Amino acid sequence: MFFRVVGESFARNPRRKLLMAAALVLGMAVATATLTVVLDVGDRLAREFRSLGANLLVTPQSDSLPLEIGGVDYRPVDEGAYLPESELGKLRTIFWRLNIVGFSPFLEVPVEFPVPQSGTRPGMVSRATLIGTWFEHDVPIPDGTTFTTGVRITHPWWRVEGRWPADGARECVVGVALAQRLGVRTGDALALRAGGADFSLHVTGILSTGGPEDEAVVAPLAVAQSLAGRPGQFRRLLVSSLTKPEDEFARRDPSAMTPIEYDRWYCTPYISSIAYQIREVLPGVEARAIRRVAESEGHILTRVSGLMWLVTLAALLAATLAVGAASATTVLERISEVGLMKALGASGWTISFFFMAEQILIAIVGGVAGFGLGILLARFLGQSVFGVPPALRLILLPVILVIAALVALLGSLLPLRRAARLQPAPILRGE
Amino acid sequence: MFWRLLWQLLRASRGRLAVALVAVVAGAAVCSALVNLHLDAERKLTREFRTLGANVVVSPARDAGSASALLSAATLDAIASVRAPEVVAAAPYLYVVARTAENRSLILAGTWLDEVRRMSSWWTLQGDWIASRDDLSRCLVGRAVAKQLSLVPGRELDLHYAGRSVRLIVAGIVSVGGTEDNQVFVNLPVAQQLADLDGRIGVVQMSVTGSAAQVEQMARVFAAALPGLDVRPIRQIADAEGQLLSRIRVLILATVVLILALTALCVLATMAALAMERRRDVGLMKALGGEMSRVVRLFLTEAAILGVVGGVLGWVGGVFLSGWIGRSVFGSAISPRLDVLPLTVALMFGVALAGALPLRLLGQVRPAEILRGE
Repeated sequence: MFFRVVGESFARNPRRKLLMAAALVLGMAVATATLTVVLDVGDRLAREFRSLGANLLVTPQSDSLPLEIGGVDYRPVDEGAYLPESELGKLRTIFWRLNIVGFSPFLEVPVEFPVPQSGTRPGMVSRATLIGTWFEHDVPIPDGTTFTTGVRITHPWWRVEGRWPADGARECVVGVALAQRLGVRTGDALALRAGGADFSLHVTGILSTGGPEDEAVVAPLAVAQSLAGRPGQFRRLLVSSLTKPEDEFARRDPSAMTPIEYDRWYCTPYISSIAYQIREVLPGVEARAIRRVAESEGHILTRVSGLMWLVTLAALLAATLAVGAASATTVLERISEVGLMKALGASGWTISFFFMAEQILIAIVGGVAGFGLGILLARFLGQSVFGVPPALRLILLPVILVIAALVALLGSLLPLRRAARLQPAPILRGE
Repeated sequence: MFWRLLWQLLRASRGRLAVALVAVVAGAAVCSALVNLHLDAERKLTREFRTLGANVVVSPARDAGSASALLSAATLDAIASVRAPEVVAAAPYLYVVARTAENRSLILAGTWLDEVRRMSSWWTLQGDWIASRDDLSRCLVGRAVAKQLSLVPGRELDLHYAGRSVRLIVAGIVSVGGTEDNQVFVNLPVAQQLADLDGRIGVVQMSVTGSAAQVEQMARVFAAALPGLDVRPIRQIADAEGQLLSRIRVLILATVVLILALTALCVLATMAALAMERRRDVGLMKALGGEMSRVVRLFLTEAAILGVVGGVLGWVGGVFLSGWIGRSVFGSAISPRLDVLPLTVALMFGVALAGALPLRLLGQVRPAEILRGE
């Protein structure tokens, strides 16, 4: 009986159900799309923030004070401590290994240019710093795989006119200001002297960074190591990692935490816990957050995701309004049916039951269709904004269905209450 | 006659109109709040990006001859004379590699500490900051320096350079999480006297607000005011900021457009339902000999009034809504924008009229059928 009544209602007047279903599909599609995007936006933006460069600095623990101005270390090579290059693969074995986007070791060597280059005016200072690093280097990981990293990943704002040097070759790029000063061009052989030995490097391009590297020669790490007489060693490491913005919990001292709190802290990608895990795998190092980058990143991430949540809330509200209004309209339209049912002896409860069953049925069908449409919408949105479609979250389906059913019921509740109180005779008369 | 009819119409069905008005007001409020938010979010976010500190650097021209060329103090006067409100802070720097009494090298940075404070929100301080740039007896030390030299606020620090020396009192210890942790900060004249470089500075760092294009523009203004010097935005920050902002802007815009469309649809549905309820009135008027065009005009005017009144009320609601969102997300209210008002009203007006259009179809219906209730 019940199914027959509901079935008849759908079969007899499908056009009326269409308005309600359309509102549901659209409303739930927008709700699904915004929820999918907002749940992904933190991860996506954190990845975008890596264009700011590294957010962790790893240095030897027992080091002398670095004489660093604007990111270039001016210490002589025989001063201070060094770290072994061979250990670096271990960085990809920490708990949050997949959050390590890239890392670049650095070794600076002061060099002189013994041969006056063409265009050099007499009496000019012909000294500069040679920065040794990885450009695009394959690092062997203890689990047998390799990981490709270097400044091309950690320093995306570095631009080279020409080509990047190969990591094993005797090649270099020259900073744009230094190149101007020395009159060096791409393809030249650059003669330089370090620690009394003469070297010659092939210039593959002109580097422009907008930073102190514009005044330096940047060469593969192996070249700097042989110039400094420090094979297999480097001075500092810049690590670019995906992190979660720090909150109150992250600022607490991990040594004072209970075991459960400690586990939670360890298993959350806070920058402090990633730094801690780096210290675990690389003994004798100090790993610190580069606060300038990390703090503003956390700051802006919190703001933007807060904003997106509020906008999502507005979307949910708008969807609720749309569905509620459509639901109320469909019930109001059928108020004469209520009169007829009442005249035939149905109680208010029975009538409400029939109507609500219908609404829920539409809500489920419309909710599923809206979810599908919303996923497509979210994919399009994610693809066009971030170039990557957001992850499909099936957990959202029940959430969306519950919202759809609740809203459809709520929207029909008010008109149904009114209908239940009405006398059947005036309704049937059409008043 | 027309207006009297309209007035009666509005009065007689105020219950139903109130429901429709609520829908229009709610829709207009969401629309105006989001448009307002979208217009202001970028400005707010560029301000947030200033927590990244300096983004423009003035340095000696690249072809000046040597890497160790210095700027003169006249540069600072020239920068000050530009006096643009976009410049949040500007600080000169002179770096000196000084030696401590234990013969350890460290970098002494001479600057204007009052200006540095304004572009270094991420520095944490233990002890006191040096608030005046005329304070020549005290210094701030980086965390790593303090650790290596076992310094605490109140201790004295002797620094030597080329036979000259200076005795400073440690005012505070700064923890920066960068190269600054290895440096000692003093006011500019201290470094200039120690290095015997009176009136000379190394670089000037500036924090300038605005989009990447605006910062580029400011850099050009400064370059024109400082002939022979090299003024450039720090690319690490400018690039990342531009990229992030454009992503966030598109994201917010896309979501806002989605919500606008949904809200418009919702209002449209409500208006259409209202119009359909008017079927009987239309039938009656037609039976009494009313011209169809006049009848339709009557109901369209009703819908238009609803749209305009709802739009204005919704805009007011939207101002409060966006103010609240601004305070809870950015900690500062979003200024209401008057140009959103016509936009909201026009949108609601259009949607209300579009919703009332099905009434035109009633023109083809014979009044008897409608009055019979079919």
